[in-house]
Amino acid sequence: MKRTLLIARREYVAYAKTVGFWLSLLAFPLFAVLGGGIPLLIRSAEPIKVVAVIEEGPAATGLATAVRASLQSDLDRQTERLREAAEKGQAGAGRAVASISGPKIRLVAPPPAIAEATGPARDAAIKTALDKETPKDRRLDAVVFLSRVDGKPAAQVWTGRANDNDVSGFIRGALRDARRTELLTAAGVAPAVAQEVQSFRPEVKAFSPNAASGGEVSMRDRIPSFIGLAAGFLLWSLVITGASILLNSVMEEKSNKILEVLLSSASATEILTGKVLGVAMLTLSVLVVWGGIGTFGLVSASPQTAATVGQVLMHDGLVFYFIAYMVGGYLMYAVLFAAIGAFCETPRDAQTLMGPIMMILVVPMLVMQMALTSPDAPVVKVLSWIPFFTPFLMSARAPSDPPLVEIVLTLIGMFATAALMVWIAGRAFRAGALSDVKLSWKSFGRAITGRG
Amino acid sequence: MTAALTLESVSKRYGGFDAVRDLSFQVPKGSICGFLGPNGAGKTSTLRMILGLQEASAGRIDILGAPNGRSVRDRIGFLPEERGLYKKMTPVEAIAFFGALKGLPMNEGKKRAKLLLEQQGLGAAQKKKMKELSKGMAQKVQLIAAVVHKPEFVILDEPFSGLDPMNQQGLEEMIRGLAADGATVLFSTHVMQHAERLCDKVVLLARGKKAFEGSVDEAKATSPRFLDLNGAITPEAAAALPGVAGVETLSDQDGVRRLKIALAPGAGGQETLKAAFLNGLDVRGFALKEPTLHDAFIGLTGDHPDQAVTPSETAQ
Repeated sequence: MKRTLLIARREYVAYAKTVGFWLSLLAFPLFAVLGGGIPLLIRSAEPIKVVAVIEEGPAATGLATAVRASLQSDLDRQTERLREAAEKGQAGAGRAVASISGPKIRLVAPPPAIAEATGPARDAAIKTALDKETPKDRRLDAVVFLSRVDGKPAAQVWTGRANDNDVSGFIRGALRDARRTELLTAAGVAPAVAQEVQSFRPEVKAFSPNAASGGEVSMRDRIPSFIGLAAGFLLWSLVITGASILLNSVMEEKSNKILEVLLSSASATEILTGKVLGVAMLTLSVLVVWGGIGTFGLVSASPQTAATVGQVLMHDGLVFYFIAYMVGGYLMYAVLFAAIGAFCETPRDAQTLMGPIMMILVVPMLVMQMALTSPDAPVVKVLSWIPFFTPFLMSARAPSDPPLVEIVLTLIGMFATAALMVWIAGRAFRAGALSDVKLSWKSFGRAITGRG
Repeated sequence: MTAALTLESVSKRYGGFDAVRDLSFQVPKGSICGFLGPNGAGKTSTLRMILGLQEASAGRIDILGAPNGRSVRDRIGFLPEERGLYKKMTPVEAIAFFGALKGLPMNEGKKRAKLLLEQQGLGAAQKKKMKELSKGMAQKVQLIAAVVHKPEFVILDEPFSGLDPMNQQGLEEMIRGLAADGATVLFSTHVMQHAERLCDKVVLLARGKKAFEGSVDEAKATSPRFLDLNGAITPEAAAALPGVAGVETLSDQDGVRRLKIALAPGAGGQETLKAAFLNGLDVRGFALKEPTLHDAFIGLTGDHPDQAVTPSETAQ
């Protein structure tokens, strides 16, 4: 046991000292922050655009008012979202969503130089107003001319940047609403009724006997599926990362001729166990750091969601299923990769067996997404009984309450396969470590059967 | 003297190839034993069976009272033929780590490592990474790692290979030091000079079979003494002299030859030399030579020790 722990400790320290480990440790949270935060930051840091709206001719009368009403409606909706988020204790998340989704437009009265001019003089005045060199208090981001073409609302939008579509998009929506109101009114619908139709947002509530409340489906009911999928993906990436570290570690020791010295000091089982344990600790450290950062982020942004996630994980011991699938999955793949590493001195040597294994590992990645919407689909159920897929697919399915017998039997199957893999890998590891034979299915098979 | 190691009829078979055949020998406690043979003779396979890294196909092994090295791992030090240590560790860390695997507390291992490195002239290299050391330095560090836990039995597989003469001499001193401290040393080599200088006992292996077991002097006694004759002498005339078992022409320059005459067992050489003079042979120089272990090896095995056994016969 002492030797196993010594080997595990060396394995852990050797990797924890490398720059690559710290980069990979920080890469995931960094990408999560960058992936989620930067668009948010860009959007929220985007300045409010100053837009002048001008009605061209009597036919366009009322369109500017409709545009203003549309903007006000958007602002009211944003205020409502913030209020709802604050009520749910999700002020941070609400602010974040509002900062992205809210309109970033301020309508101003058109400058006389534009409103009163015509022809080339007007164009020149517009260009001056949109010019970056124009003082800020007189500068505009867009000038919109509202008109009618064949009796229908239309617009000509001038913007400072040729590829700025925000104002065009907003005006398009506003004019569509205006046209709808016009048509309804023309059809004899009272303006108040038309307005009501315009702003109507149907309230659709989902109910399910399996919802936590016993009736209405809430966010609390949707979170488990996402947690299952996230757990499956997380487990997949951790297993691949951990097993790859082991493969490289054993391969390095083989090529540096260290394995034979190690084998004279400890048994093959002790070495294999020590290495698997060391890398498991390494993987666990990564998980704790990622989990810690994720929890901190979630609690800060949305304490209520964080509490729901906590409840889901503790519900029916779900977190313990995840741990069991993680242990079994890691053990199966880690010992297999370590055994392959014992036959290889270069990554090219390892490709012979790694190719088919990686192809097998792609399958659960594809099926896990199906498990999100249809956890009981026959293909998902059947594949989750295959021990090599069990950890990933059952992690994805576990939150949707599969029958207990399925959970227990797949766990038994997975751990029995893991035990078989440990036995096979132990034999192969010992044979490979002392052999100069290049890895092939044949040499691997001979090592397992003791003929190598 | 009691035996630290006993092998009885040990064999190792790989598929259809017999790497070691019916091998029996003993290594007395506290002795230095040379395990000699050409490359591919089965030395490494035998050492691995002794250590318990490989199972013997047949036979019995007894090392320090145990059936194989696995159960007395902590009492054995081992230096494999192909050497390597963790490249990013310092020598002190590497030595202490391997010492700890053998049951030596880590702090004690570090203390001993520093002391042994100083003794081997590697004091300045203590804080360097292994990858920064020369091959000779790394080999010394590995040997220290193999013996830092003060093992009772030390197994060294081709310890002199790749070392320059200075480091070879240093290593010979280390091996003598280990034996002086009471350890039993078994080392394999195909360089006979080291065995001749170091060993109390040698075991000669050829094509997986034992060719000889005994002291260096006993091994040499199996080989004839030689008489070097220099002069205008034909090999036929030399062969006709009394006490001559064989003649080999070492050089021939316009009829002036250097002949290596193998003397018959029991022949002292004086009779042969006297007859040469009496027969009027043109003897311009002569020297009587004792056989070396190298000569004994060739005589006993028919192999040259530096020659490898054909690849198809190698263990793995």
